[in-house]
Amino acid sequence: MSTSTPARALRKASTLLTLPLLATLPVLLGACGNESEAGAEKALQIAVIPKGTTHEYWKAVHAGAEGAAQELGVQVVWKGPIKEDDRAAQVQVVEDFVVRGVDGIVLMPLDKVALAPPAAEAHGRGIPVVIADSDLDWKDRVSFVATDNHHGGELAGEALAEMLGGDGRVILLRYLEGSASTAEREQGFLDAIAKHDGIEVISANQYAGASTESAYKASEDLLQSFPSFDGIFCPNESAAFGMLRALQDSGRTKTAKFIGFDASEKLVAALREGEVDALVLQDPVRMGDLAVRACVDRIRGKAVEPRIDTGVVVVKSSEIDKPEVQALLSPDLSILNR
Amino acid sequence: MTSPSPSARRTRLQQSLDTFGPFIGLAIVVILFSIIAPSGFLSLYNAKTVATQTVIVGLSAIGMVFVIRSGGIDLSVGSTIALASVATALGMRAGYGEIPSALIGVSAGALVGLVNGGLITRLSLPPFIVTLGTLGAARGVAKWLGDEQKVDAPSGWLQDAMSKSADTSVLGLAPGVWLMIACAGAAAILLRVTVFGTWTTAIGSNEPTARLCGVPVARMKLAIYVLCGAAAGLAGVLQFGRLTVGDPTTAMGKELDVIAAVVIGGASLSGGTGTILGAMIGAFLMATLANGCNLTGIPNYVQEILIGAIIVGAVALDGWRARARAAA
Repeated sequence: MSTSTPARALRKASTLLTLPLLATLPVLLGACGNESEAGAEKALQIAVIPKGTTHEYWKAVHAGAEGAAQELGVQVVWKGPIKEDDRAAQVQVVEDFVVRGVDGIVLMPLDKVALAPPAAEAHGRGIPVVIADSDLDWKDRVSFVATDNHHGGELAGEALAEMLGGDGRVILLRYLEGSASTAEREQGFLDAIAKHDGIEVISANQYAGASTESAYKASEDLLQSFPSFDGIFCPNESAAFGMLRALQDSGRTKTAKFIGFDASEKLVAALREGEVDALVLQDPVRMGDLAVRACVDRIRGKAVEPRIDTGVVVVKSSEIDKPEVQALLSPDLSILNR
Repeated sequence: MTSPSPSARRTRLQQSLDTFGPFIGLAIVVILFSIIAPSGFLSLYNAKTVATQTVIVGLSAIGMVFVIRSGGIDLSVGSTIALASVATALGMRAGYGEIPSALIGVSAGALVGLVNGGLITRLSLPPFIVTLGTLGAARGVAKWLGDEQKVDAPSGWLQDAMSKSADTSVLGLAPGVWLMIACAGAAAILLRVTVFGTWTTAIGSNEPTARLCGVPVARMKLAIYVLCGAAAGLAGVLQFGRLTVGDPTTAMGKELDVIAAVVIGGASLSGGTGTILGAMIGAFLMATLANGCNLTGIPNYVQEILIGAIIVGAVALDGWRARARAAA
């Protein structure tokens, strides 16, 4: 009667735990199969660990890394933290690649400090580690491959000085207290402007804050307190976008020269319209490419520079349709779909 | 009278399944990955790595066993871990040294537990709602204390607690792993031998009856949530050691891993069951899964789908078991 029902239900239940695992078996095997094909003849394995995997920027880095890998005949294993921007998750990814025994690691650390212990562990087990994109407080790295932010700021300053003919009043809207990369851009901008006696910096102590919203508000306040000025520089995408909105609201996009840093769809559209006069662009594809090359060079015993600049360029409205600019604005990601 | 009745035999079968189910699950995961993952998965070094990666979820799961066994739930553990890691970092930065700073971290966790337990017992609110509230609030306090940033601090030997390098590990394992094992042992004794454990089970099995039998339900619940908070707090202290910074954004969604570990370990979300050993195996299974996925280079979305499937599967298993129990 009822004696066998619970036992049967229990037996069924015990298989239930295994079901989700078994169901994913083909997926797992598939994922594994692809990889073993790629690394059929003992190619060097380079783990490339971004800060996240969903942003366009990281996809561009991935495309660059993959391009270098194909050219050099090595295999890139691309794996970011399971939770975007989660330090602990990135630590775990690095540890697991150390276990796996990859030949080299390219790490874009989420944190200047927290990623140092796992990087040191990799180094301790003979795996060379290249740091890319953001700096890490750790001495044993092969190289630091990233944008020279100070230089990017200088380029913006020189471009603005040239647009103004070496004469005028300019505003710097800073990004965020404690953000190292943008602070370098701001300093670079001020250094370049300081070389032009005719240009006066009328405001350089306002911060845009982390969000577009806060940048918008800070920009409105700035425009309110300075009715007349000739040029503006904003050191990142959100600050530039907030300023753009404020300039549009007050109808002053044409009266002042405006230079931003980094691109977004809206900023590029504004650049095309001439509402933004120039954008400073980084090169994430080149960053992925150069970082993988640095790592492979070290493994193959070649000398590697301790600091590799991945380059920045200033793009003016008139240059937007040049092929090299288009390559930066919408990088070719087709290599990732092969 | 003396010969075992059919129902007693069924109970034994049920018990053995409850006990060995998690082991079977773990064995399947290990076998699966030892086939498909590259060499290195089955190495001693990887075992140490996974053990270290288990600690945060494992320690939190110890407290969660008591909560779930008493018929409750605590969704705030992820945020509590973050709050404790920030509190510990602030202690270290203020120069209080390792032990006092760790105590600050554990106390911060216990405080969250006290708020949870207080709201649940005084206002008679469902634990799900209360801890959903403190999930947000504790995260907010962590960000507030950390000034919306990570907190840099000298980590001292707390960092070594989660390091498995030769000069800091004890008998080959990171000190944090031994701490987890010791806490698990103490908790198992508390649960099995003491009246605290008996009362916890009584509340989870049938709260009105427990009250009639003279179990101080409100005080017990308060103590259970404080225990859970303190366990998450200790996990937060070790998270600080692992990251070497106090991170208000860390362990987001970790509560799901913790609950999954406890449920995979044989606990029922309707209360009355769940063991420490099972939860430890559950936590180890979750860590092994993540580790295996990383080693194999499986894309993140596959890993997320997999973990989601495991959680649903484990809860479905709980439902089946509950129904089987009701039928028996």
